[in-house]
Amino acid sequence: MTPPLLRGPVRVAVALAVVLALWQAVHLAAIVPERYFPGIPAVLAAFGDMIASGDLLSGWALTFSRATIGLIAASLLGIGLAILSDLSPVFGRGFRYISDVLQPIPPAAFVPMAVFSLGLGTKLYAFVVILVTVWPPYLNGSAALEAVSPVQVATGRMLGCGRWTLLWRIKLPSAMPEIFAGIRYAATISLVAVVVSEMLSGSNGIGFMIYKKAFALRTADVFALMFVVGLNGVLMNGLVSLLRRGVVGWHQKMMERQE
Amino acid sequence: MNESRRIALLGLLVPGAVLVLWQVVAFAKSSPLFPGPIEVTQAIIRNWHEIVSNLGVTLMRAAAGFALATVIMVPLGIFLGRVRWLGEAVSPVIDLVATLPPPAIVPLVMLFAGTGDAAKIVIITYAAGMPLIMNTYEASHTIHPMFSRVARSLHLTRFETMLLIDLPSSLPMIATGARLAVASSLLVSITSEMLLATNGIGVYLQRSQENFQIGSGLAGIAFISAVGIVINALAYRIEQKLLFWHYRR
Repeated sequence: MTPPLLRGPVRVAVALAVVLALWQAVHLAAIVPERYFPGIPAVLAAFGDMIASGDLLSGWALTFSRATIGLIAASLLGIGLAILSDLSPVFGRGFRYISDVLQPIPPAAFVPMAVFSLGLGTKLYAFVVILVTVWPPYLNGSAALEAVSPVQVATGRMLGCGRWTLLWRIKLPSAMPEIFAGIRYAATISLVAVVVSEMLSGSNGIGFMIYKKAFALRTADVFALMFVVGLNGVLMNGLVSLLRRGVVGWHQKMMERQE
Repeated sequence: MNESRRIALLGLLVPGAVLVLWQVVAFAKSSPLFPGPIEVTQAIIRNWHEIVSNLGVTLMRAAAGFALATVIMVPLGIFLGRVRWLGEAVSPVIDLVATLPPPAIVPLVMLFAGTGDAAKIVIITYAAGMPLIMNTYEASHTIHPMFSRVARSLHLTRFETMLLIDLPSSLPMIATGARLAVASSLLVSITSEMLLATNGIGVYLQRSQENFQIGSGLAGIAFISAVGIVINALAYRIEQKLLFWHYRR
């Protein structure tokens, strides 16, 4: 197989340049009315204006911190539940019924039902984000804890590890790479959940801003905000990767050596 | 076998305990805004027809969006995988676009297509299309070189190679993408209704909230969950049936 021509950041930069060039071409060709499809300079100007007024930064900070805190809480909860499921197979099986029932429900559906009990503030975001974000770390974690090789477990027992030491020193470390794969997937979900909640019943944050601007037909602003949403995803992924390198760096090094 | 059945039965105690706890809290609060499982069950019976007809609309749109996404994205993904230079150029663009969650494009689509069926189907197509094209492209461009050589020695044209070699050998990964796409088209169908209200189960949920009928709303959510479980299980079954040759290996 031929290796890819471009790698990593260069690839992304080239892709971005291509998209922007195409965009500007469509704009200049005036296929779509200016009002619906502003050029890149107009979008940049809108971006600049929103930064200058401070709206963008404060909205972004709210959205991003909601998503991050939700993700951290959901990951810890997911890992905790995975450990519980490992300790008690009955709980694990029972909790699977609950996860099967809750998983197909979109975050947007929870928002209107929870508004009255939880209000429009932090509690609502925490509830919605955790309820939809907890599954990937939990499911990956419980599957990985179950799949720990019996040889490793037996070795631990032979070395005199008790139940908890076995869990802490052997099972959890070997499940961590899988758990991080789940957290990475969960990161995207948590951002989506926050943006949707803000759109539906927020009074601030990026999601609320996009919705407001769209109804005001401020198209350039909408495009600029969509760009911010995309960037948020990239940023979140970067953070999770960084954390993963810190926690399971040994695993990545081992995989590279095997290749 | 017996042991696992025992665990499965004992496991039912966990959701049972949650339901009991929920009912106790609801009883203690005794507020119409915090209904318990009994009220929700009553609401399911009461609103059966309304929920089913709304859910039907939602599912129709989800199916249309999913079908459209499959028809567009699978051939496109195979084409990009076979025509190497084009794939190299386009795939980072796909990666870039994929960072945009479907709800974020809702306001944009609204500007072009309004709030009707067309707008919602476009959003669902986008949501279902992303996993489909990513998996199809990934599968068809990492195809084993031997297959390409076989195609060449049989003097297949490029189109025949795509149809007879690339498509079948990419099917297992396309199926994985399709399963993700099925789940997300249902999710996004509901979300798009809540953001661009006209009809469907998403609108039903919001109307329940506006009328302070939280029990009815939760009944709707219960339906969504049940339908989601059935559809996802069905998608899995169909995949196993169609790809029996892959799983038998």
